[in-house]
Amino acid sequence: MNGVYLPSQFGVIFIPLATVQVKTGDKLRVTCRYSHRGKAESVPLYAAIGNSGAFGFDEILHSSKTISVPEDVSWQVREAYVDITITSAISAGFYDLYAKIDGGIPRVISPTLHDVVEVLAAIPESEFGEITITTYAKV
Amino acid sequence: MALYADIIEIVAPAEADADSRVDITVRIKNKYSSAIGIMVGGALEYGVTPWPGINFPDDTENVAGGVTHSFSGWFTMPGKGVKIHAYSYYYAGGSWYFDDEMTRAVDLAAVPESEFGSIEIISYARR
Repeated sequence: MNGVYLPSQFGVIFIPLATVQVKTGDKLRVTCRYSHRGKAESVPLYAAIGNSGAFGFDEILHSSKTISVPEDVSWQVREAYVDITITSAISAGFYDLYAKIDGGIPRVISPTLHDVVEVLAAIPESEFGEITITTYAKV
Repeated sequence: MALYADIIEIVAPAEADADSRVDITVRIKNKYSSAIGIMVGGALEYGVTPWPGINFPDDTENVAGGVTHSFSGWFTMPGKGVKIHAYSYYYAGGSWYFDDEMTRAVDLAAVPESEFGSIEIISYARR
């Protein structure tokens, strides 16, 4: 089962994560919560689907959009989302997901969620294999 | 020039963050030769009317002659710099009489450069 381990007053607890199924043409909306303080600025919110491994995150699909963060004189928690378009560049299977702020040199990176995106196999184009007469009767 | 309740000093930070609690101390000296009742008061000037007051949980004290007493107070820093106005009063003949005033500025702390503390994915859904 997929999930994340989180600290709690009872020690570390395991939170199971649901898997979302997508197919080519869909969009995956990734909603993030982040903390910020300081001057206002516009930064890219970036999210990617791929495979997390020993050598980093192998991105297959990604997307970003610029978010405007207002001035915060103290730490504030805010939310924003970014949509990733599912294309034929990704094959069927289970994939990982992560997000970050500032695409070039990341300023903050989310924990990776493992195996939470299931890409379904593309439905093939319509085709006919054979035809046979099953009955014949007077009408 | 104070007659009896002489404000010696306002102790306050030079700057403070918006919405933060600012603790101050107003030091008032009894110039009279024996003990008298002294009261402190205060208000904030920063462009709003009426001027908001400063909280002094213990705003009166019988102060011995020649002694300086420290009154502790606080206020919540607004979104701009303020000028503290502190006032002193002395008690005589059943009434309080205004005696002295002192001011001190507290600037609004500069907003720091933008920084992000953390990020987490809270949902992911097909659209």
